[in-house]
Amino acid sequence: MTKQRILTAGLIVLGFFIIVFFGMNTIRAFKHMRGRGPFDGKPPTANQTDVELIRDWMTIPYIGKMYEVPPEALFFSLGIEPDKQIAKKSLKELNNEYFPDQTDRVIVQIKDTIKAFQSQERPPEPIPPAAPAAPIPSTPKP
Amino acid sequence: MSDTISSFFLTQVINYGAPLFALTLFLGAVGLPVGASLMVIAVGAFSQQGYFDWGTMAILGLLGAVIGDSLSFGMGFYGKNWVEKRFGASPTWNNAQVYFDKRAWVAIFLTRFLVTALAIPTNLIAGSSGYKFQRFMLYDVLGETTWIILYGGLGYAFGTQWESVYDFLGNFGGLVLGAVILGAGIWMAKNQFNKHKLEQVA
Repeated sequence: MTKQRILTAGLIVLGFFIIVFFGMNTIRAFKHMRGRGPFDGKPPTANQTDVELIRDWMTIPYIGKMYEVPPEALFFSLGIEPDKQIAKKSLKELNNEYFPDQTDRVIVQIKDTIKAFQSQERPPEPIPPAAPAAPIPSTPKP
Repeated sequence: MSDTISSFFLTQVINYGAPLFALTLFLGAVGLPVGASLMVIAVGAFSQQGYFDWGTMAILGLLGAVIGDSLSFGMGFYGKNWVEKRFGASPTWNNAQVYFDKRAWVAIFLTRFLVTALAIPTNLIAGSSGYKFQRFMLYDVLGETTWIILYGGLGYAFGTQWESVYDFLGNFGGLVLGAVILGAGIWMAKNQFNKHKLEQVA
């Protein structure tokens, strides 16, 4: 009986603390989420511009697609010759393999490269081919 | 540790697509901490970004999760004899079994997407209590479909901001788990109080 009482009291106390802990975190997370999603009238964008959303589990081809930057340019900026196997590696793996003594070297370099791409001015739209000019009516000689 | 595993699987899902997604949900359903909910939200976002076809991902993901659930149900089923030997004489265990049988569908359905931390114990209990496999499958498929549509849909809707959805849903799941534990404690206290009252009357 005493064992059961201890278990019951334990469950009530544990449940209470879990509710308080996760309740506070849920409110914080909800506030954070509310300002970012479609419920705030902000449609989701297919392609990102915010480089702070780059994570070390991402691969170069994925980042290239998301940020509309050629993956070759990203590999070039890292000084890495791309191949099929390397393309499957995450930024963290690339960092561990190529820059083991420099923490976050790869992710920082990738962010900087994308920022540089984003800051480039887009070339002006090509001029559409001109329509053939109407013939000038010839004026009769006096 | 769990973050490292989730990161590893996110990279592999990006590389290998739907089959790896299905495998991840299968592993999650048998109890490995692969961050299955995180994966569903992320894949919803990747599909919105045009990286994957959402239909293929949803169907293969559902398949992986359901096969994993069946396996953990099977573990409970084949461990039944051991459980009965160990707890069969305990009135608490027998009461819990009766209570589970009455409300099993609620437990199976809700633990697929709302209190995911209790999904594996629910599968094991369902298997070991002799609950009908066909009925388990019915509520399991309904729950897993809800999970994939709800979580994947939120990932799809939020796109690049999917991490904030995961943060919210993870904490909300913890909040519900706390409510379940508190509810169980209150229910037990009520039973003890009633029993004590009856003993006093007798």
